[in-house]
Amino acid sequence: MHVTVIAPEGAVFEGDADSVVAPAFDGEVGILPRHAPFMTLLGEGRLTVRQGQTGHAYRVKGGLLQVVRDNVRIVTEHAEAEE
Amino acid sequence: MAQPRELRRRIKSVDNTRQITKTMEMVATSKLKRARDRVVAARPYAAALAEIIRDLHDPTLVERFPLLRRVDGNIRRAAVVGITSNRGLAGAFNANLIKETSARVRAFEREGAEVELHMIGKKGVGYFKYLGRTMATAHQDISDRPSMDDAIRVIDPLVRRFEAAELDAVDIVFAKFVSALSTPATSLRVLPVQVETADGTDGGGGTAPNYILRPSAEEIVGVVLPLYVRNTMYRCLVETAASEQGARRTAMKNATDNAGDMLDTLRRTYNRARQAQITQEISEIVGGAAALE
Repeated sequence: MHVTVIAPEGAVFEGDADSVVAPAFDGEVGILPRHAPFMTLLGEGRLTVRQGQTGHAYRVKGGLLQVVRDNVRIVTEHAEAEE
Repeated sequence: MAQPRELRRRIKSVDNTRQITKTMEMVATSKLKRARDRVVAARPYAAALAEIIRDLHDPTLVERFPLLRRVDGNIRRAAVVGITSNRGLAGAFNANLIKETSARVRAFEREGAEVELHMIGKKGVGYFKYLGRTMATAHQDISDRPSMDDAIRVIDPLVRRFEAAELDAVDIVFAKFVSALSTPATSLRVLPVQVETADGTDGGGGTAPNYILRPSAEEIVGVVLPLYVRNTMYRCLVETAASEQGARRTAMKNATDNAGDMLDTLRRTYNRARQAQITQEISEIVGGAAALE
């Protein structure tokens, strides 16, 4: 599935991934390929995008996550890459 | 005919000016490139927000969200946010923006609305101060690399007052970045939020996938709308910043070209004057020698 993490100043991440774990407003949600259309508000916390053995982590605050036709979009005002 | 010495001085002065405008042109070109990258980078976020709003939009939402509220009848109180640059030497760039801002204000006033003016940029602030028009706010500290925080600082107070029904409409006047050569001053209604639906009408799109929504469509829209408004402000700032560099590059290129033309003419006149002087001196010498014989 295709994942994009978008902040106002530009796309933070764009690429394919096997799984996404995002901090929703009421706890973490995990997204795997072929997820049903889904939209949720995000809270504050750690967003992880995993592709095979490699993973990327970001600190996000607010915004939302949208899944449609195997496209995952995380739209947030604050997204910083984490070590 | 002018003295050669006089001409030499003018040539030097025009040449200096040309060097300065040429340098400014190059500076603007490199700043333009970076500013344009920022405009392009800001697009996906705006597109994503617009799509989400479109997907979730349904006509019944209008009553529940103050940001979508449209007044029936006349607009009583409106705000115009005019964006200009902090620096000049960009041709008619700021003049066009100021003209469009004034036109927006007048259009609201014709409708019988009370208009408050919010200016961004030293050029616009200076102009309206000179006219003696009171500005509700004057931001002169936004750089040519505007940030999201700048946008929030400008628009959030207006959003709150719109929600409290103290304002009926908010327009932004900015320089749309069509290309480096085309940067028309444009006005945009930012509040109430204009929802573009898929079929161009105001009804629900109908093509939206059947989402699982958490916590609810209403709450998501409640979060997305303010983000969208802020982002619109941010985009206007970024586009104006890029347009400014484009306009400056064009203006400085014209100035450099004109200085070049002027140098050509001056050099030609100078050479002719010098030639005339030499000819005259020779004929004087020949005349003097002839007189001695």
